[in-house]
Amino acid sequence: METLNEIKKDTLCSLLAAGKRADNRGMNDYRQIKVQKEPFQNAEGSAVVSIGKSQVAAGIKFSIATPFPDRPKDGILSTSADLLPLASHLFETGPPREEAIELARVVDRGIRSAETIDLASFFLEDEKVLALYIDIFVLDHDGNLIDCSALAAMCALSCARMPKVEDGKIVYGEYSGKLPIKEKVVSCTFGKLNSRAFLDPSLDEQKGMDARLTLSTTSKNLCAGQKGGWGTFSEKDLSDLFDIAMEKGKELRALV
Amino acid sequence: MGSSQDKPKLLTNGKRIDGRGVEDLRPIKVEARVLNDADGSAYIEWGKNKILAGVYGPSECIPRHDQSLYRSVVRCRYNMAPFSGLEGHGRSGPSRRSKELSKVLKEAFENVIISENFPKTQIEIYVEVLQSDGGTRCAALTAAAVALADAGIPMKDILSAVAVCKIDGQIALDPGKEEDNFGESDMPMAFSTRTGEIMLFQMDGLLTKEEFSKGVKLARAAAEKIRKIQTDAIGKAYEEPKTERFLTIKK
Amino acid sequence: MVILMQGKIVMPGELISEKPERISYSYVDNGKTYSTVVGLFSKGKLVPLQGPYEPLPDDLVVGIVAEVRFSGYNIDMNSPYMAFLSSREIRERFSMSDAILARIIKVDEVKSIDLGDAKKLPKGLLIKVSPVKVPRIIGKKNSMVDMLKSATGCDIFIGRNGYIWIAGKGDAILVQKAIKMIEAQAHTTGLTDRVAQFLKKQK
Repeated sequence: METLNEIKKDTLCSLLAAGKRADNRGMNDYRQIKVQKEPFQNAEGSAVVSIGKSQVAAGIKFSIATPFPDRPKDGILSTSADLLPLASHLFETGPPREEAIELARVVDRGIRSAETIDLASFFLEDEKVLALYIDIFVLDHDGNLIDCSALAAMCALSCARMPKVEDGKIVYGEYSGKLPIKEKVVSCTFGKLNSRAFLDPSLDEQKGMDARLTLSTTSKNLCAGQKGGWGTFSEKDLSDLFDIAMEKGKELRALV
Repeated sequence: MGSSQDKPKLLTNGKRIDGRGVEDLRPIKVEARVLNDADGSAYIEWGKNKILAGVYGPSECIPRHDQSLYRSVVRCRYNMAPFSGLEGHGRSGPSRRSKELSKVLKEAFENVIISENFPKTQIEIYVEVLQSDGGTRCAALTAAAVALADAGIPMKDILSAVAVCKIDGQIALDPGKEEDNFGESDMPMAFSTRTGEIMLFQMDGLLTKEEFSKGVKLARAAAEKIRKIQTDAIGKAYEEPKTERFLTIKK
Repeated sequence: MVILMQGKIVMPGELISEKPERISYSYVDNGKTYSTVVGLFSKGKLVPLQGPYEPLPDDLVVGIVAEVRFSGYNIDMNSPYMAFLSSREIRERFSMSDAILARIIKVDEVKSIDLGDAKKLPKGLLIKVSPVKVPRIIGKKNSMVDMLKSATGCDIFIGRNGYIWIAGKGDAILVQKAIKMIEAQAHTTGLTDRVAQFLKKQK
């Protein structure tokens, strides 16, 4: 309801002006984060992560595919996201909306830029490579689905197993060791209203805020960024938030 | 149903592949109220099936031209996660099977939801199969019934579903994945256990009249047990009230 | 916390009387009465533990102006049914997003709602709760809401439709937490004391 968003904005303005947040969090605090690893055994890797009341499941599946013509020696990494209708009265059934597509691509960008997975090692033979699918299933929406999904995807990758390949075919149910992971990538999303930026916006904050900035990091580098929404960030904002993201990234990475 | 090549022996000395007797259910666990936004929700682990159900409503019926002036419109979507099956990456978008199951589940619930109380509205039921292991439609319906009760949707009864199968010539309860694939018949049913009325019925394979009757009786008796698991789950959500809910999944 | 209020929890389809009765949230089949919801059954009354708002004339509700029309206003009431406030019923003018406290004048057969007696609420915070929990948040003779008001210094306007408006200069965040706590535990005994303890601890 658009009118409810106006009210959320007013409330958020008043709270932020007083330096407070609705749940008494600090400007740079995450809500409670819970991680469940490998909840689904049919998948080659899986995780369920909750940040506050947001809950996201991620699953990893392998299959055999033909490589892209411009990268014939590389395997394929594909990330997709479903904003399930049971996650929020705001989501409907139907083809993926732009929010789902953006979510998937931002999560994918972080993992890919950091070369988390060595795609060259997925080469099997001419015209045959392994394809790794990350599927993000958003189960419950209370804001900051990007960080929740990114963490779920990374946790799923970190406990994933390589499938056994025999005669150019995958033998499902049998495995040949863990999926080698080069980097642990995590993302930090900030909301902004007027001149205040705050980490891990809840849904109420999301409804009232103007702009959003997501920064994905490895232990050393920034590896993905995405700004969304209305409003702007100054150079100083970006610099400050970069530092906060690197700092907070350590906390998140410890959970992977 | 699978081909007869490589068909495993499903029954040996009265014991099935997973060690069960012919009248045994797989282990079932239900938890109500696991999501924060949905009006009602439930999570079920049935054998290795892991299924989440969420309900919204009654809410404004959109699109308007679907509205009824006399009752609430019931909608249902059964969907499988691409990572739910052991083989390969599932396709995105609903398969024909998913569409059929969505319809069959919806029609089962339309029988028990007292929809005349809420004209011009809709009630939405969403079932997501996170992990599949044979008999997903019965597990899905059983979870959805709990989610509907959790949402406070008035109903004549809580529906309970279970399937029977024929393996190596014997009628058996609650087929697992291999029995689903290689058995000689599969018959899922949903009951309003109060009256014994059957709200969902499907069947494939070959059954004599005697096998059929035996199957229905076996299913009906099992449905009573399942209903107790459902009502216990609902009661538990009230005994242990929480302001923040989490989905907890056994490994 | 496990102690439930008087009565037992009944499930949809459960027998509540061997005779045909006219009890809200129940139905009669073959001369016997059964519950249609998950509820507390005690002294012949069935109170649902969850469920949508059933609008009744004279109910006091909190609404948000969703649309300004020529002859009045469409009001969002946290209900699938839009409510209409005729301009003729009020002296003030309202704008989009205004919060109002109003009374239900009429509900027709297809549940369209007419509101009246509306007044604009001062700037504040909106909380949504399950409508069936509202009586508990108000408390017997307003005991619960009065306790919340004095402990936090806030003005609290409670709508039967599940919208609660918190205004004034008090600790709105504390009110919100307390209300969420009451909502989760509405069906238990000793709640008033526990809420009093909670409010004292936060000071």
